[in-house]
Amino acid sequence: MNTMVQEAESHEFVPRVIPPPEGRYLHRTVRDDGICVLTFDRPGSTANIFDRATLEELQHELDFIESGQNITGLILISAKPTIFIAGLDLRQITEMTSLADIGELLAFGQAQISRLTQLKIPTVAAIHGAAVGGGYEIALACDYRLATPDKVTKIGLPETNLGLLPAWGGATRLPRLVGLPRALDFILAGKTTSAQGALRLGLVDQLVPAERLVRAAARAIQKGKSHRPSHWLANNPLTVAFLAPPMRRRLFQKTRGHYPAVLKAFEVMSGGVTRSVSASLALERKGILELARSESTHNLLRLFFMRERAKKRVLNDSMPRLEPKPINHTAVIGAGVMGAGIAQWLSSRGLTVVLRDVNTGQVAHGMAGIAKLYQDGIRHHVFTHRDARDGLDRIAPAPAEVPLRHMDLVIEAAVEKLELKKKIFQKLDELAGEETILATNTSALPVSELASATRRPERVLGLHFFNPVHRMQLVEVVAGQATSPEALLRAVRFVQRIGKLPVIVKDSPGFLVNRILMPYLIEAGILFEHGADLEQLDEAMLDFGMPMGPMRLLDEVGLDVALHVAQTLAAHFGDRLRVPVILSRMVEARVLGRKSGTGFYLHDRKMRPNPPLKAFVQSNSAHSLTRDDLQERMYFLMLNEAARCLEEKVVSTPEDIDFAMIMGTGFAPFRGGPLRYADSLGIEKIVGAMEILADCGAKQYAPCVLLKQMASDGSKFYPNP
Amino acid sequence: MAQPADAANIARVIALRAGIPQSVPAVTVSRNCASGCEALTQAQEKIRAGQGSIFVVGGVESMSNIPLLFKSSTAEKFKHVARAKSFGQKARALAAFRAGDFQPRVGLLLGLTDPYCGLNMGDTAEILAREFHISRAEQDAFALRSHQRAVAARETLAGEICPVFPNLAQPINGHRPGTVLQDNGPRENQSADALAGLKPVFDGKTGDVTAGNSSQVTDGAVALLVMTSERARELGFKLLGALAGYAYAGCDPARMGLGPLFAIARAEAETGLALADADLIELNEAFAAQSLAVIKGAASDEFAKRFLHRNRPLGDFSADKLNVNGGAIALGHPVGATGARLVLTSLRELQRRDAARALVTLCVGGGQGAALWLERMSS
Repeated sequence: MNTMVQEAESHEFVPRVIPPPEGRYLHRTVRDDGICVLTFDRPGSTANIFDRATLEELQHELDFIESGQNITGLILISAKPTIFIAGLDLRQITEMTSLADIGELLAFGQAQISRLTQLKIPTVAAIHGAAVGGGYEIALACDYRLATPDKVTKIGLPETNLGLLPAWGGATRLPRLVGLPRALDFILAGKTTSAQGALRLGLVDQLVPAERLVRAAARAIQKGKSHRPSHWLANNPLTVAFLAPPMRRRLFQKTRGHYPAVLKAFEVMSGGVTRSVSASLALERKGILELARSESTHNLLRLFFMRERAKKRVLNDSMPRLEPKPINHTAVIGAGVMGAGIAQWLSSRGLTVVLRDVNTGQVAHGMAGIAKLYQDGIRHHVFTHRDARDGLDRIAPAPAEVPLRHMDLVIEAAVEKLELKKKIFQKLDELAGEETILATNTSALPVSELASATRRPERVLGLHFFNPVHRMQLVEVVAGQATSPEALLRAVRFVQRIGKLPVIVKDSPGFLVNRILMPYLIEAGILFEHGADLEQLDEAMLDFGMPMGPMRLLDEVGLDVALHVAQTLAAHFGDRLRVPVILSRMVEARVLGRKSGTGFYLHDRKMRPNPPLKAFVQSNSAHSLTRDDLQERMYFLMLNEAARCLEEKVVSTPEDIDFAMIMGTGFAPFRGGPLRYADSLGIEKIVGAMEILADCGAKQYAPCVLLKQMASDGSKFYPNP
Repeated sequence: MAQPADAANIARVIALRAGIPQSVPAVTVSRNCASGCEALTQAQEKIRAGQGSIFVVGGVESMSNIPLLFKSSTAEKFKHVARAKSFGQKARALAAFRAGDFQPRVGLLLGLTDPYCGLNMGDTAEILAREFHISRAEQDAFALRSHQRAVAARETLAGEICPVFPNLAQPINGHRPGTVLQDNGPRENQSADALAGLKPVFDGKTGDVTAGNSSQVTDGAVALLVMTSERARELGFKLLGALAGYAYAGCDPARMGLGPLFAIARAEAETGLALADADLIELNEAFAAQSLAVIKGAASDEFAKRFLHRNRPLGDFSADKLNVNGGAIALGHPVGATGARLVLTSLRELQRRDAARALVTLCVGGGQGAALWLERMSS
């Protein structure tokens, strides 16, 4: 036997496979130096997740390692190109009907992961790809965490976004690793961060190129077990007693008590950090069982699944089977706020954009706005300097006419004037190539009419982005009367590819989101006209769970824009929608909201009500209404309009409406959307209350046909919860 | 042209940032003041040799970004500081610096000095002014005409200007420049008196070459899309014009301004096209004295015989054909870009005048000339 060769080999760490690789989800190899490498590789999937079966295999492997005599260290690694471990299989959780089952699964997972910390050998998580939820919690139970610096590597504990808390030791071990304040900041916001961000926060110890992960992990093992003490300054009982009460108060104010998971995570973390690890783990288990009972958690989980569906959704059966040609080259017509916002987003996702405006100054202004978005992104670690430079390089500012023959998609984002837009579409029709899709970003004008200005209306559709583009994930894909299924599918795939969430809507006034939102905003204006207090109106809806009150939202949107949308809708809906006088009078007086400095509020250093607006108050009839009354009136109108949209088949399912309203307007996510909320209130009850209001002369409250019919036959929007 | 210190192959950097696929190679060429021409003529050579059918050529120069340099003796001292290990060594190394070490060498001046003959470009212009008996008044009048024509042609030239919206993600020298919509060289209010009042720059005592009758130091860039007419037809492009022939020629580096005369003569020998065949002429105005020397030399029997070895002179640069939209004295001479810019300007002017043929000619620092014959395509 040639010992020289053997030595050389052991130096190279040639892995030796120890049979049997009976595992389906986990593969074990023990190397010559005694280091055991556990590779997560879920068959037939691009992702690793934790389900019952995987956890059982992990248990089996841990049994082996604990009993193994010659094992010197443990490396956890994934065989997937973009995912380390994506956490717990949420579907398995939602399918469980009994609390006891959920509790048992959680306790089992927690126990297995905790066993890692008790191993006598050093342990390393070698992370490449997403390590989120349980995927990061298992890494937290290791002695060392190495990660690759690649874009696909992401570290996150998003549980609170789903109404849950990191209960596999995340809420216990993260505060011990990085200190309670930093851990709270990360877990309560449900954050996910890049590898660089994770290194900065101390969530991982070192960044290592993917090819050298195992080598670096083996070196870390040679350092022995880590003995990191808990942060004594941040985590001692005195500090916690000092920091916790004001933080608890702030959290309650911020969530208005609507997000029990955030509060629960806070309690578990601040309570657990001063207790023993096992006591803290017990708090986690108790916390999650309480959360599993809440309606809010159920709605947030449903929202998660709706998002997943929107990311991948295939159109219905009438859609073409063939995957459409991808969209790479785009042009945006109009360099205003929306045009520039869209151009910035597209360029940041790797698409080339021609940003065209007839006004050179506007192009310059748009480019400056785009540069600012990129700079903000650099500051928030969303972009590197190079990302920003490349993104800006992908935008070709065009103050003169340029050929659009090679464009895959042209998005028009000009001023909301029908005649002007028709002219633009005529021109685009000439300039564009045969395969170019022409889209309008109009928020209210009829897509079919714009399409009829072209020779080929089948390639015209609406792509309605929301403002600010870089933050709003929803895009309404509007199908005109003549839009071809091919064009529609291509547009949906485009929206998915740029990381937005599509909802397909029929070409009807206001489409979906603005149509449901507008009656609510208008009602707020009418209530104000009738003496309701400005701040009470906003507070009422903040209490409801909206991210912003209606009056403040009107100011942000701009009163001129709101008036235009309101008038367009009123023209179609007649007396069902009455535009309050105050809106047009404010627009006449150039009181336009935030952009003009004054609206319902004065927008200088500190926002405060605009006193002269009292002159527009016509009566006192709404003055005595309580916050609850105001709230009810305002959301009734959203519920009613949402039901009417379903009645008119603006979209095909109640999920579409609930999803669009949550993603497009921030409609209280924990309530599950307007239709889910209507179900939970009881439709009969709502219809009764609305009819009383309508009988008192407020015709806008008359419930729609669908609601009345559902009230009489006792049906629900979601028959199976 | 001055190669930027942070981009060894600037053409490749531009190509990548412009979104040209990574698989397409890029090369930076240099023939000093005629680099923009060189890019174009090399593309034609490659097309003829069957090495590709579509090229993006052009030129770029950011004279405002040319850095100041340290002398090599200073650099040596910096090296000692960097290598010093102990505190004592460091202190000794630092103590070696003298105030004079920090006097910078101006990169721009170095770039405009011919290392072979040791003369600055302005010095070579002074030689021509003396030898061709070109008065200060003649030079200033030529300069004034350049401004007047450039100002009058603002609208015409606007058609070839692509507004520049600087990539604001990268501050340039610490500041964020605004949008550039037009040339900032031509002066509406340029007067003969003002020009006459300027002091000579290169020969302070007896010279005539001033900042006013020299080309301006400018930033600039230009790109041309070049392909065979078959490819253009295939892809549906309209052709602006064609390169009918060209020649480069060498001459005395100390009289580099005469380069066009040698190049025009060689181009005539090769293509049969003479000065009289041009409907338009773009003669780069490196210096008024230099341009006027070329004009005089072209008309001179003696020059033709002595230096061009031919019996008849090259011909006349008639004023109504020459630099009709102004030249580098008004518009600036971003060295790397100028050649290609003149090609674009002359092709567009041919189209505007519905004329057939243009000559673009430049003198080249180091003693060369370039002459390019361009034709409008009859489509």
